[in-house]
Amino acid sequence: MNRPEFTIEVSQNEYLPAGTGEVNAIVNVTSTGSGADGRSAMQDDTAAAEVIIIDCSGSMKAPGPKMIRAREATAAAIDAIRDGVAFAVVAGTHVATQVYPSDGLISADPATRQEAKFALTRLHPDGGTAIGRWLLLARELLATREDALRHAILLTDGRNEHESAEDLAAAIRRCEGVFSCDCRGVGTDWVVDELRTIATALLGTVDIVPDPAGLAADFEAMMTASMAKEVGDITLRVWTPEGAIVRFVKQVWPAVEDLTARRTQAAPQAGDYPAGAWGTESRDYHVCVTVRPAAVDDKMLAARISMIHTTAEGPQTLAQGKILAKWTDDEAESTRINRHVAHYTGQAEIAQAIYDGIEARKAGDDDTAAAEFGRAVALAYASGNQDTSSLLANVVDVIDASTGTVRLKPKVSDADEMLLDTRSTRTVRVKK
Amino acid sequence: MQSLSPATCPGCGTPAGGGDNFCEACGQELAVTVVSTGTVPVGACSNCRSPHFSDDGYCQRCGRRAPVGRDHAELVLPGIAGVTDRGVRHHRNEDALALAATHTPGGPATMAVVCDGVSSSERPDEASAAAAERAVHILTATLRAGADGEEALIAAVLGANSAVCDLAGDSANPPAATYVSGVVTSAAVSVCWVGDSRAYWLPAGPGRGARLLTRDDTVVGHLVAEGLIAEADAVAAPGAHTVTGWLGADAGTPEPHTVTIEAPGPGVLLLCSDGLWNYQPDPAGLMQLAMPKALTDLPGAAAGLLAFALDGGGRDNITIALIAIPPGQAVVTADHRSAP
Repeated sequence: MNRPEFTIEVSQNEYLPAGTGEVNAIVNVTSTGSGADGRSAMQDDTAAAEVIIIDCSGSMKAPGPKMIRAREATAAAIDAIRDGVAFAVVAGTHVATQVYPSDGLISADPATRQEAKFALTRLHPDGGTAIGRWLLLARELLATREDALRHAILLTDGRNEHESAEDLAAAIRRCEGVFSCDCRGVGTDWVVDELRTIATALLGTVDIVPDPAGLAADFEAMMTASMAKEVGDITLRVWTPEGAIVRFVKQVWPAVEDLTARRTQAAPQAGDYPAGAWGTESRDYHVCVTVRPAAVDDKMLAARISMIHTTAEGPQTLAQGKILAKWTDDEAESTRINRHVAHYTGQAEIAQAIYDGIEARKAGDDDTAAAEFGRAVALAYASGNQDTSSLLANVVDVIDASTGTVRLKPKVSDADEMLLDTRSTRTVRVKK
Repeated sequence: MQSLSPATCPGCGTPAGGGDNFCEACGQELAVTVVSTGTVPVGACSNCRSPHFSDDGYCQRCGRRAPVGRDHAELVLPGIAGVTDRGVRHHRNEDALALAATHTPGGPATMAVVCDGVSSSERPDEASAAAAERAVHILTATLRAGADGEEALIAAVLGANSAVCDLAGDSANPPAATYVSGVVTSAAVSVCWVGDSRAYWLPAGPGRGARLLTRDDTVVGHLVAEGLIAEADAVAAPGAHTVTGWLGADAGTPEPHTVTIEAPGPGVLLLCSDGLWNYQPDPAGLMQLAMPKALTDLPGAAAGLLAFALDGGGRDNITIALIAIPPGQAVVTADHRSAP
């Protein structure tokens, strides 16, 4: 199997003032693909396994055509599965039921795709919601394919009501590292935090599809993106010198994901952070470490970043990059903030401000909410994050974007608030 | 740094096995020579002492940049320790250092050569390395053949001069280096020098005076020697670093100086470049810095002298060699590397 080529580029100001030790860097990781550019996704030979989980709880019945749209979306996703990929469809209620095939996974081909779509017509919404059980069935199915890139799509329209929060948390833990999962909430009766927790732990995305009419396009896009992945189980390894502290490791593009707490110790001075599956793509990470200060003019390797692919033959290093520290007396050198670091620090702050604003609004603290949203508006404006700017404009009236002067809208639709909540972590890159 | 054991026994010509210190045929000890040649990274991090470096030259423990080439090298043999360091201000180390330990018909002998490339000449780093390496190999060979200390030192300095002259080519400003060497046997301590690298005798007991054994080949060096100017003033004098003697193609026939102390009693012979003595020319002051540590821990004492010069400003390259008297007697601590 061809493996994608990875490259790492580090952007930082390596000069530190004497006596200090905090080093910040933006690490750009790019996978340039396995040289199979231009091939059809349907001809790919990468081993993959997919499970589509569709909420069939009673609430999917009404109002409107939610169930019909969910069936159509699932059908669209099935059509996007390339030949040879093992797949299954699961219906979720207070239990998890296999819809197609009746047992295990089946290899996709025109006939099985057709059978699967036909089986969807048997789906009738009835019952409760126990998302942890859905995940565990997906796990059971996907765990049989250790050789493959394993991925699930989860659709729900409601909150997790028919099992305890602990049960869901335990199920998520069991699934971690077994498969990745993109989560979608349709309508506005589901809980953003629940799906975000699942997506974060399972290295997937979370999003709201406010109008069921948008489901099919979204499902197709998700499945196509999953089919484009070429290599799974990638970890970002951070080596640091003795006595150093890793302050944080965050993915900062295309969306903010704080990986700091996901560290597993790889060696006495190295920790691994999950980076999931990769196709031909690029991601940025912000790494912050504190090292023991050395003398002026001394140079130190403050961190070494490696992208590691773990296979049956053991860990393989795909690319490496260096984060350096050099001490200087020259303030002009040490006070210059690298523009990528500054930019992504701002992007992470936008996400935090939005999160804090939403929490404050829920708690009835409108003053804090307005202040936080205002901060987010100003930062989004300054950094050219237009998507976030327009999401914010749905919840506040912007009086002056440059200063972050805003007024809370008296009435905000649930959909607008959930849109802002689910998409607040999306970032933009540095303006050229 | 490289460690050189002869390919064949100098006593009987039998090929020497890898890592053997003694000839398997005749039992003669094979010479152990260590030279800082400036091309290979040294074995330990100058910050944390870890011997493990990444391929791109960083310490795998503390992250410091590995001392590459001659930036910092520490050489240790039983009874000898040396260190050479780029210092703080210079962008490379133009000093060179070579150590050797061998057996002679008269017993064990230890020796060191310190050379300081003349900065105003071309390729001074090559000059010092060539001189030190050639000299130490001639020293071991001639001592083994039965020469006394001074005879061996003269042969070595002439050989070192040829080595530097060989680098000249068509250069109008040919490579040049200063030179100081010392041999310690159970009978005597001998030193030989050209230029302003120095040798000091540092006795073990406080009752006996430490002494500068060399007289700088510099404009002021001659004035100091004749008592016309005080040593303390000489360091700051305009001509303090204007050498009047060196090895190299434009130096003419070298006029090496030698000094021998017969049966000096226990102590240490210190050889150094001006990167050290600029910060402490006084023999008593140097003795205070080196003793009593040098009696039990030569590498530690050398490191202490280096730290002193670096703390003082490290304006020049710094090279220090300490040779125990009598030869091979000082304890080498276990955590320092020794030659194979």
